[in-house]
Amino acid sequence: MITVGNFVRALALSACVAITVRPVVVHAQAQDQLIQRAIDLENAGKWRDAVTAWRAVISAGQPGQGVLGLERVFSQLAQDDSVLVALDTLVRQRPTDRMLRGSQLRVLRAVARDKDARDAFNEWVRLQPHDPTPYREFAGQLLMDGRAALADTILQEATKSLGSTKELRIEVAQLRAGLGLWSEAAVAWREALANEGYLEQAAQYSLQPAPMEKRDSIRAILRVTPAPMSVRKTLGLLEMGWGQPREAWRSFSTLAPADSAFDTWSDFASDAERATAWGPARDALAAMLAARPSGPLATRAATAALNAGEPTAALAFIATGGALLPPAAARTQLLPLELKALSQLGRARDVEARLAANAPQLDPAVVKSYARVVAWAWIRNGQIDKARAALTQATLDDEDEVTAWIALFDGDLVKARAGLRHPTEVTPDVVNAMALLGRTKSDSSRAIGAAFMALARNDSTQAAQRFERAADEVVDAAPLLLALAARIHVARRGDGQAIPLWQRIVQQYATAPEAAESDLEWARALRRKGDAAGAVDRLEHLILTYPQSALVPQARRELDIARTGATA
Amino acid sequence: MTVRRSLVQCMVVAVAFLSGAAATVGAQHMLVPMDDIQANHLKAYGLAFTALKTGTKTEWFLNYRGGAFLLPEDPALRRKAALDGITVESMSDATLAGIRKEIAAGNMDAVALEKAPRIAIYSPPKSPPWDDAVTLALKYAGIEFTQIWDDEVLKSDLTKFDWIHLHHEDFTGQMNKLYLGFRDTPWFIEQRDRDMATAQRNGLANVPAVKKAVAGKLRDFVEKGGFLFAMCGATETIELAMGAQNVDIAGPYSDGTPMDADADSKMDWIHTFAFQNVHLEMSPGVNAMSDIDGHQVNVPARRQPLGQFTLFNFSAKFDPVATMLLQDHRKVIPDYYGVTTSFAKAVLKPGVTILATEDGAPWVKYIHGDYGKGSWTYLGGHDPEDPQHNIGAAPTDLALHPNSPGYRLILNNVLFPAAKKKPLKT
Repeated sequence: MITVGNFVRALALSACVAITVRPVVVHAQAQDQLIQRAIDLENAGKWRDAVTAWRAVISAGQPGQGVLGLERVFSQLAQDDSVLVALDTLVRQRPTDRMLRGSQLRVLRAVARDKDARDAFNEWVRLQPHDPTPYREFAGQLLMDGRAALADTILQEATKSLGSTKELRIEVAQLRAGLGLWSEAAVAWREALANEGYLEQAAQYSLQPAPMEKRDSIRAILRVTPAPMSVRKTLGLLEMGWGQPREAWRSFSTLAPADSAFDTWSDFASDAERATAWGPARDALAAMLAARPSGPLATRAATAALNAGEPTAALAFIATGGALLPPAAARTQLLPLELKALSQLGRARDVEARLAANAPQLDPAVVKSYARVVAWAWIRNGQIDKARAALTQATLDDEDEVTAWIALFDGDLVKARAGLRHPTEVTPDVVNAMALLGRTKSDSSRAIGAAFMALARNDSTQAAQRFERAADEVVDAAPLLLALAARIHVARRGDGQAIPLWQRIVQQYATAPEAAESDLEWARALRRKGDAAGAVDRLEHLILTYPQSALVPQARRELDIARTGATA
Repeated sequence: MTVRRSLVQCMVVAVAFLSGAAATVGAQHMLVPMDDIQANHLKAYGLAFTALKTGTKTEWFLNYRGGAFLLPEDPALRRKAALDGITVESMSDATLAGIRKEIAAGNMDAVALEKAPRIAIYSPPKSPPWDDAVTLALKYAGIEFTQIWDDEVLKSDLTKFDWIHLHHEDFTGQMNKLYLGFRDTPWFIEQRDRDMATAQRNGLANVPAVKKAVAGKLRDFVEKGGFLFAMCGATETIELAMGAQNVDIAGPYSDGTPMDADADSKMDWIHTFAFQNVHLEMSPGVNAMSDIDGHQVNVPARRQPLGQFTLFNFSAKFDPVATMLLQDHRKVIPDYYGVTTSFAKAVLKPGVTILATEDGAPWVKYIHGDYGKGSWTYLGGHDPEDPQHNIGAAPTDLALHPNSPGYRLILNNVLFPAAKKKPLKT
């Protein structure tokens, strides 16, 4: 209960507090204004005025801030040593102030007064013999300068006087990385991260430059279980930096789906999407979706899956998203993905059914625009007539891409040539088709149509056989057709079937552009199966037979490796 | 296969053969230019070495087109040149006669190369965490060599080699004072244990004693007519080891006793190749050996920045040896660090030939001299294409530096012992 007496006492107390606090507040405001003014002058490049302003900051009782400001400004004026005058006085007044001591060491080194820097450091250590701060500051500065050997000496002194370098884990880790002792650096970073989880970025920055051959040892050290979350996160960041998004996800995926893990996954998914690493992006988005289901996440996951060439997985995400999004949003965001996924799977009837079910809610022009998707679904289903029928509903000209593909499948190379002149998307299939159409003078070829048809239906065995067969029919493009067949075999890990094709190209079509490429691929296949001598023969043949080929420099590099007997 | 296709193929092969042959019709010689035309300078040395190995007469045209090689027209050599990407020009007798005339008229000379030198590289059995520029260069150029180490030097006859190369080894037995920063690393411990085992096997007291004995054997090798080429820390430390046969110059961590306090005055500079009146670094805690090195890369307070060095120009006819060692398509080369980067002028012996120096600097980069019947060459620095070279850094990929002027200096040394000895005119 508030009594009159209490109220009076409280009022008196408030007055006292107000009287004492007010000047402090006013003083702090004045200091802030001084600092702001100095920063403004510095930003405006008015160095001389900035010096005066930072000196005023020091006089107003902010020596740390003021000295840092002076250090920057004098550095701009190429008068680094001028700050030492102020520092000498201030350090005498506050001999253990970390900011002042750090600045003193930095400036002395900057002006090449290494001995004075060492004396200043010794003095600081003398004043704070059990404090790791002087060692941390000095070793850190030396590491920044790349003076790893001297930093090592400082850390050894720390071990001697502090009993261990436990307090200096970060510096030890940085030192080892600076010396190129990557495994040791990884061990040190692991220890540091176990105690201070916020160091992931610093650890990544330090270990990122490790050369390729040292990375596996770093991975092994950071993967040892149980690894704290910060260590796994660091490994993930490193893998991403090393251009290994799949490995990065392998590391991130082990994080428990807590808030921080979700944020990490989200960052990773965005990075992977930007890097078009669709497989890892899909995995990360799937994990996020499981942790916090949402329509937009399902849409992103479905897109990533489609781009990764996994329409079945995309359909599963679309189903999840459909349950989470309002119908109108699902129609605009998910229906196009669903139709594309069904089309890629060759489920033409389902494409038509889904389109028909949604047609009443869609603009007729939009429905029409899906004619190509329906046509592709029928193509992948192997029913060209139905694909053609689907296209009749759309107003397409002769140079339309889908029409061109259908013409190609029909063996009508003239029409195919016209339509594929300006493709909307340059996929490997488009490149192969354009290369072939540019190469042969033939106007029609059923065999070529059948081969591309098999390719469109993802029947690689048939595709390889049909390209090989087409080589006998379309003689002017025979080496290209054989090379295409060989490429399909290699993609299916069928080196044994590819080698006779390369051999045929090299022997029968020695002057064809594919001959040099065939020699190189043949050599690589031989190295893969452990035949280094055979690879040497092929590479030598390439270099000697096609000295003008753009592949010769690469062949020479691989020849040097093959000559050492190394197999792939 | 149809008859028609067979005929077409035959024609293709015939045309290809004829067009290849056309380039060499009437050619009796192959000139391997070593100026900027050359696509792969380093492999060109390998081509000359291969020619010598097969007993093919080879000539080195000093100062002509960057130090070109003349080889007889030979299908096997032409094939190797094509495979290695070496630029080769076909040449008739008439054209060659013109070139010889040009060489006779200018500061150039033609030196006959007689036989492929037998090469040894002094290098530890297991690769240390740094690479050796000479090993890299020889492997890349395809020049054969034998790897030798302490036991081979101490027990076998070194006269079976014409040329021995030393690189990073510390002949003072202090392992480049890496004890200071690397004593706990597995590779350091392994090397120390290996060296101590060598000492035991050879009945020597400690590692510095082994290295002194090795240095002594290497000096004998030169005295009897061998060619010694050293780079990096080996240059400085072999001199110190040769001069310290009767004094302890090793820190306590390598032999259990401190350095002799009067080591400086007890050094014997009579038995060294290149240096005299050197002051030793007496502190075991300072990563430097002496004041031979001008750059002192491992002592931050003394470290000197890298500049560029200039190759001297000698008279090819009067100083063929120095000229051979300096054949290059560049005269100014960016400097590079090593445990020993350069050699202070103040400590050079009077008879030493300076091959390359940095303008205005108190040090030189590349020196040469004779000792007994043999000769030695020192080149400062570790790797001409890796100026900062750090321990543990990946080895240089020479396929990315096929025209390296710095590496050419190394390979000049490899071919130098192959030169037919002419009576010196000076």
